[in-house]
Amino acid sequence: MTEFAALAQLTVVAMVPFLLASLGTMLGGLAGVFSVSQEGVMLLGASVGFLVSFSTGSNTVGILVAAAVGGLFGLALGWATTVLRLDQFVIGLALFFAATGLAGLLFRVVIGQTGQTPLVDTLPRLDIPLLSDIPLLGTALFSHNVLVYFAALLAVGLYFFLYRTRAGLDLRSVGENPKAADSLGIPVVWTRLWTSTAGGALMGIAGAYLPMVFTGTFTEGIVGGRGWLAIALTFFGGWRPQYIVAGALFFATMDVVALRAEVSNVDIPSQVLLVVPYVATLLVMIFAFRWARVPAFLGRNYDRESRTA
Amino acid sequence: MSAPVLIEPDTAPAAPSRTVRLVRNLLPYILALVLAFVVAGIVIAVLGYDPVEAFRTIFSTSFRTGFGFTETLTKWVPLTLLALGFTIPLAVGKFNIGGEGQLIVGATAAAGVGIVYADLPAVVLMPLVLLAGVLAGVVWAGIAAFLMGRFGVNEILSTVLLNFVSFQVLDYAATELWSDPAAGVAATRGVGEGAELPTLGGPPGVHAGILLAGVVALATIVVTRRTAAGFELRAAGTNPRAAAINGIRVERVAVIALIVGGALGGLAGALEVAGVHGRAIEGMQSNFLLLGIIIGLIARGSALWVPVVAFGIAILEVGASSMQRTVGVPAEMVLIIEALILIFLLLSDVIAGRLARRVA
Repeated sequence: MTEFAALAQLTVVAMVPFLLASLGTMLGGLAGVFSVSQEGVMLLGASVGFLVSFSTGSNTVGILVAAAVGGLFGLALGWATTVLRLDQFVIGLALFFAATGLAGLLFRVVIGQTGQTPLVDTLPRLDIPLLSDIPLLGTALFSHNVLVYFAALLAVGLYFFLYRTRAGLDLRSVGENPKAADSLGIPVVWTRLWTSTAGGALMGIAGAYLPMVFTGTFTEGIVGGRGWLAIALTFFGGWRPQYIVAGALFFATMDVVALRAEVSNVDIPSQVLLVVPYVATLLVMIFAFRWARVPAFLGRNYDRESRTA
Repeated sequence: MSAPVLIEPDTAPAAPSRTVRLVRNLLPYILALVLAFVVAGIVIAVLGYDPVEAFRTIFSTSFRTGFGFTETLTKWVPLTLLALGFTIPLAVGKFNIGGEGQLIVGATAAAGVGIVYADLPAVVLMPLVLLAGVLAGVVWAGIAAFLMGRFGVNEILSTVLLNFVSFQVLDYAATELWSDPAAGVAATRGVGEGAELPTLGGPPGVHAGILLAGVVALATIVVTRRTAAGFELRAAGTNPRAAAINGIRVERVAVIALIVGGALGGLAGALEVAGVHGRAIEGMQSNFLLLGIIIGLIARGSALWVPVVAFGIAILEVGASSMQRTVGVPAEMVLIIEALILIFLLLSDVIAGRLARRVA
């Protein structure tokens, strides 16, 4: 039973990077800006977050700077697709490359070649009083680092904001029918800019989470496709926070399976277990793309003066 | 998701003279190159290195020595093939981000054939090795194409996820099936002598696969510009609705384009095995995926320009490692330069478009 509790706790911990990156993707996407630079922005967030917290000794500062840098990339994507109306996928890929290069460059410049691995303190566990004492569920749900609680509150907060407030409805209308939204006086460009920026910031935090919780250090392969999986998760979750949380549980379970594959000695080649997250995602997407409702203007730019849009 | 706006900007109203058009087409490139290097130079200077020295090294390495030049040509082969593998599906508005996986399974299959049938004579073995690579690439892209055509699964996601699967395919081949413990890195055993491409010129010389890559590049230009299939490809990309009304099966064109892209990726992998490494090695894909996409986007999807841009990027890449050795600037700087070139190119398009509108 403690084995189960430990696994459950590990799964919740593994959910967070998926959840943050996917909620960030969702936020921008609901207003119509589809980011494909998650993998790069997360790597940059991991690099910057690690480096800042390594040199300042404060994880909080590291997370905040990672969020700021991620937000900057989100802002760049938003600006290039609204004000300049560049193709969303092309500029997204370009930003992915820039972020990937920058992540490696910064690490090289600050750390350089060292014999020993530079390490930062991983985020401490915060027990929530009383709740964490519940048998089984207590440790699985209420004994975590601060970002786990942040991600949970964010998901709930976003749900209420998007589906229970007027501002949330306005936001979603920008992704569904920007022309109609525009005619009602909803600021289309501003909405796309801030959601894209906030989304990028969340991706940056998701990246910073990896060295601060999993490894304590930065490696080039630290993101390992989680950015791309986050896009898949967003489709899988139908661009709704509540389903994204459920989907993140699935993705995290796959992640934990792959993680444990490396330490366990089951009689299956480790390679087979390591592809499980990716193959499972591919299979799941077959169904996801059938039922998933996608914002009608996802990935499409809005030009007020165009007659066709 | 409509096709990206990558049409060459010569469709402007009123036909200006040839030279004006040429200048207008080249100007964004020149602007983008200059701006990218200015920004990169500032960054390098801020980091405390000498930007002039760094750029001199980047550009001169490929031309100072025969070795540098052959290295550039050798890099040109997979870069061109992967870039074409990206641009062909792009013509129908599909993003093939799976060049890496297609290259890896192509290399694994080629190495497998080269190892298992090592004793066959070159006349038989060499075509088999290349065919194995191409077929593996076809299968790999075919999975994504099937999921896209049959279930509407987004091809960006499926191709990219298959990259991660391919790492494990190669890992299995390199550590279990045909492992070579003496190699020091995770790699398969060497292929038979008949599976190694002859070297042209030299020493050091370039492997003969460069001819094949050249033929493929030429064929792509001819097919996309001069045949009915190429016309359908472009029509399906520029205006899917009009194409469909005129009897072009847009979905099928997209599926085929993606599979052709995979074939080129697989071929690139096979050529890396047969021409460069003589085996499949983990990490042999380097950052060819990113570079292939950058090349394809800088060339604006034009098959004519891909080989040219690929050569330029190969120069930068070969110069990058030498810059890191001699000047000390981390090689990642070059990836940033390449991304900046692309970003500035996109930005200058916007500016050019606004200028054109103001003039008109």
